[in-house]
Amino acid sequence: MDQSHIRNFCIIAHIDHGKSTLADRMLQLTGTISERDMQAQVLDDMELERERGVTIKASAVRMQYTAADGETYEMNLIDTPGHVDFAYEVSRALQACEGAVLVVDATQGIEAQTLANLYMALEHDLELVAVVNKIDLPAAQPDEVAQEIEDLIGLDAADVLQVSAKTGENVPQVLEAIVRRIPPPKGDRAAPTRALIFDSHYDSYKGVIAYVRVFDGVIRRTDTLRMMSTDTELEPVEIGIFNPHMQPTDSLSAGEVGYIATGLKTVRECRVGDTVTLAEGGAPEPLPGYKQAKPMVFAGFYPADNDDYDALRDALEKLQLNDASLVFEPETSQALNFGFRVGFLGLFHMEIIQERLEREYGLDLVATSPSVEYQVVLRNGDVIVITSPADLPDESEIAEIREPWMFIEIFSPEEYIGAIMELVTGRRGEYVSMEYLDAKRVLLKYRIPLAELIVDFYDRLKSVTRGYASLDYHFDSYRPERLVKLDVLVNKQPVDALAMIVHEDEAYRKGQKLVSRLKRLIPRQLFEVPIQAAVGKRVISRANVKALRKDVLAKCYGGDVTRKKKLLEKQKKGKKRLKMIGNVEVPQEAFMAVLRLNDDD
Amino acid sequence: MGNGEAFFGTLYGNIPAELALYIHIPFCEARCSYCAFNTYVGQRARVPAYVRALQAEMRLAAEALPRVPVSSVYFGGGTPSLLAVDELGALLETCADAFVLIPDVEITLEANPERLSPRDFRAWRALGFNRVSLGMQSAREDELRLFRRTHTLADVRAAVEAARAAGIPSLNLDLIYGVPRQTPAAWRESVQAALALAPDHLSLYSLGVEEKTLLHKQIARGRVPPPDPDLAADMYELAEELLARAGYRHYEISNWARDGHACRHNVHVWRNRPYLGLGAGAHGNVAGARYANLRRPSDYIARVAAVAAGDARSTLLAAPAAEEIAALTPADVYAETVILGLRLTEEGIAPCAFAARFGRDLWTLYGAQLRRLLAWGLLEQSDKGRLRLTPRGRLLANRVFVEFV
Ligand SMILES: Nc1nc2c(ncn2[C@@H]2O[C@H](COP(=O)(O)OP(=O)(O)OP(=O)(O)O)[C@@H](O)[C@H]2O)c(=O)[nH]1
Ligand code: SF4
Ligand SMILES: [Mg+2]
Repeated sequence: MDQSHIRNFCIIAHIDHGKSTLADRMLQLTGTISERDMQAQVLDDMELERERGVTIKASAVRMQYTAADGETYEMNLIDTPGHVDFAYEVSRALQACEGAVLVVDATQGIEAQTLANLYMALEHDLELVAVVNKIDLPAAQPDEVAQEIEDLIGLDAADVLQVSAKTGENVPQVLEAIVRRIPPPKGDRAAPTRALIFDSHYDSYKGVIAYVRVFDGVIRRTDTLRMMSTDTELEPVEIGIFNPHMQPTDSLSAGEVGYIATGLKTVRECRVGDTVTLAEGGAPEPLPGYKQAKPMVFAGFYPADNDDYDALRDALEKLQLNDASLVFEPETSQALNFGFRVGFLGLFHMEIIQERLEREYGLDLVATSPSVEYQVVLRNGDVIVITSPADLPDESEIAEIREPWMFIEIFSPEEYIGAIMELVTGRRGEYVSMEYLDAKRVLLKYRIPLAELIVDFYDRLKSVTRGYASLDYHFDSYRPERLVKLDVLVNKQPVDALAMIVHEDEAYRKGQKLVSRLKRLIPRQLFEVPIQAAVGKRVISRANVKALRKDVLAKCYGGDVTRKKKLLEKQKKGKKRLKMIGNVEVPQEAFMAVLRLNDDD
Repeated sequence: MGNGEAFFGTLYGNIPAELALYIHIPFCEARCSYCAFNTYVGQRARVPAYVRALQAEMRLAAEALPRVPVSSVYFGGGTPSLLAVDELGALLETCADAFVLIPDVEITLEANPERLSPRDFRAWRALGFNRVSLGMQSAREDELRLFRRTHTLADVRAAVEAARAAGIPSLNLDLIYGVPRQTPAAWRESVQAALALAPDHLSLYSLGVEEKTLLHKQIARGRVPPPDPDLAADMYELAEELLARAGYRHYEISNWARDGHACRHNVHVWRNRPYLGLGAGAHGNVAGARYANLRRPSDYIARVAAVAAGDARSTLLAAPAAEEIAALTPADVYAETVILGLRLTEEGIAPCAFAARFGRDLWTLYGAQLRRLLAWGLLEQSDKGRLRLTPRGRLLANRVFVEFV
């Protein structure tokens, strides 16, 4: 197809504003998916996506659309996730496109990720088609929201399309607008071939599948290709397009989006962000790649059963192919043996990865409480970076600890200003500014330590604002703070996997909470188990798990030995899931106890 | 003695050729709040058919087994005392007819101390019952009410008197401790009230809150506090002391008896010897398998009738009404022998007896576990290496047993 008949666009929005549903209607209108294969949010094909009703991973699909001008266009659509943790997925998708459809929920108006994603699109010089969605809902205020888009984003309210992705109303106009307003790609088909890998996944038959956007030249099935950053050469197993499933083609030309089945088994040779060219007569310069996503949150992942270490590494490698933002390295813990320190873009990302490891790879994991990345200035002037409290050097060697602070923006109805203020300041946050978006909605800006943000801040925000507030954040700066390491001793032994770094003023309160929580989580053992929280040598809180005195079965009638044995077997299975720390059995949940320290029990 | 192999095969090892019978009567007047047993209320009309099914099951089982002497028959429930005298008589008659009962066979009847007359005891005695177990549960009205028991302490006293007058030679009382809101003083009161009745045997059960019971619901809803396990441990220790002083021997984790009054039937089971379970939901262990019968009386009755008519067949012929059958491996039998045997607090498990029975060395099989348990102070070794639960081990018996599963 000549480039003037190609349109590459993505759909961006705040979470739940209806991107995937809008994509459904487009797939239907263009006949890409038959009525029989149609289901709600059809592009969300991962089990976890369907179950939770959220998009986790961007997906690309090609459609053939015959427009009002009678011409047929090749439309490459990329549906993106809306959750703040997956902004990196969005940024990569944007780079493969010339335009974006910005969706805003007519009952919610502009929210935090609406703006965040909009700014990203503008940074990439994309043409925007703004759409107000869900106009079928009684609470919809399409005109007001269109006006809001004009006021806040500067797009003419008259150009904002008002649609219902659910009923399909006005969706054809969106396709028309895409054809008319989004420019075609302007690649040079005669130039040396250059294609950007904007995503990948692993297929057990075809190896790493690289999702590519061809910028210049042509890729043919028979070409020998070269990955520019690693100089790896390969003969593709297959090339093709997503329609919506993988469909082989003979070539992909400048301006087109498709895939290359590389046959490669590991991510190392085929990195997202790399440029693919031809082995012979290749391009001299790669395309601008991506900045590697910067993980914000780190946690130790350990196999519950030590024998599963290799399986865990394997699974993490496979997931990395699917999720370019995932990073990990081996880590050892006295308490938990061999595992990995894994970096995530946020807590939701961590939760998703943990769940995928457990479900898709059948692993039983122990996860430690999440931590952020600290900069530690030593007395000798060196600066080291740590992502695990266990790695913090001895107090006497430390000159200063710096922690990451975030800049956050909260969109909310004005009646919750007080509650939000209280929440943020209770977590060491500092006020920056407040502006009214309209008569009833405000945009609050703060700075807050990331460590405070990752511990259920978002959930608390949602609950104090009855779900009405939305949040966006980005890195602000590292700041020196009075931070200390809070050690936890179980039966007098420090447990590295339970240590945490806390603000000095909070050490006492957190130490007490942690100890009382652990006291409840650690089952009674055959002997008394003291649990202590300590800063340096100073014990700031202690409690004892009393020795177990009684564990007998009640009367079972009539010699029901089978039932007794079943109960004993259940008990034994339960014990197997416990981790031994010295001679104390500790349940897996204990290692995540820190996460809930802010709950009021 | 010692020729059991000929009867039961090598799986059970070298044991006396004796069988025990357990007969389940799954009917009660009302359901107690803590009860998760296989029992049903309001089914009086079904009893005659049920009795006939039991008789048929006995005959079918007896046909499938060698004619082994039966040393004990235990009527448990449910409430066996709900059966009319002639129904009990019919069952015992079939029993004596189908099986070989040894001359001094122990025949136990579980009875609820409500609406029992001296005439009942006299009739039972005449039928051959020589042991009666009374569900006293508590001496206190508040606890009996919490349990939804339908009798009073006065009923228990009257029943004991009647049993003695009728010449019942061995009498047991059941008590429950670790009850919500129960204080050690209240527990002492119940124990002393039971001792005042001079029973030959006492069974003290720790209250278990089982799912699907009324008590479980009440606790889940916060209407009744959950039992306190530490307090229950205190009560157990208190009872050990009181009963020792009164001359009872603590022969099993939950059972005490005067000399010569240990329950032969239960000791047989704890020694892991074969027994037949008859009736709905009854469990048995014969012919190298553990089995459980169909639980619902109607299903059970229909199944027995079908087997008797030749329309159905169980894979375990000795258990015509079995719903689940699990064949035992030698390893199962060794483990079960240890687990059950350690319940016998005086007898425990003697390596020499174990070797004589199975031709296997206990320490070779379970050295690691035994060493651990000795080190933890849950087991102790006495004369000639006999292994027994320590006083602490009795309260932590599950921690001991779990090592062997
Ligand atoms: N009534 C109505 N509901 C809609 C419409 N569009 C989407 N929804 C509903 O809104 C919810 C979210 O829709 P999705 O399409 O999954 O939203 P999304 O933007 O893809 O969400 P993420 O990918 O998780 O960010 C679903 O329950 C949809 O059924 C609409 O036009 N009208
Ligand atoms: S009498 Fe026994 S079997 Fe019947 S309901 Fe009460 S506890 Fe259960
Ligand atoms: Mg979606």
